[in-house]
Amino acid sequence: MLKLTQWLWGLGLLDSAWAALTMGALDLELSFPCQEVLWPLPAYLLVSAGCYALGIVGYSVATFHDCEDAVRELQSQILEAQADLTRNGLCF
Amino acid sequence: MATGTDQVVGFGLVAVSLIIFTYYTTWVILLPFIDSQHAIHKYFLPRAYAILIPLASGLLLLLLVGLFITYVMLKSRRATKKAQ
Repeated sequence: MLKLTQWLWGLGLLDSAWAALTMGALDLELSFPCQEVLWPLPAYLLVSAGCYALGIVGYSVATFHDCEDAVRELQSQILEAQADLTRNGLCF
Repeated sequence: MATGTDQVVGFGLVAVSLIIFTYYTTWVILLPFIDSQHAIHKYFLPRAYAILIPLASGLLLLLLVGLFITYVMLKSRRATKKAQ
């Protein structure tokens, strides 16, 4: 539970900071472009986190090594197990 | 290195995520600092869509996940009912 509460605290802090800035509760005179950038910021962070996750998954899929030896060993073990089970009476 | 379709799919995903990220970053972060008369603005939708599109697609994703869970649960309940 500790990691979850840490994440929730961090997100809660960021959210309250963003809310305070967007609603002008701190009485800061932000220039108009800054306000325009600040307003979609949570959505932007979500979208970029999603893109990052997608990119990491894609990269891992692309760079995962094929293990030729393991494939052959596994297939021979499957055949062996099938022969053994049919000998002992199991129907496939 | 992985072979064949694995590489294509993997690098395709990386490319898609990079495209979405750069487009969205330009849209949200860079455009407000660019003069509104500049030609680049015609390649981007009105700013309200920068929140609506991710929100709508997030809700759609939740809907699809919920439908899938419902379907799986109904199928398993029908299977147990037939076994009784």
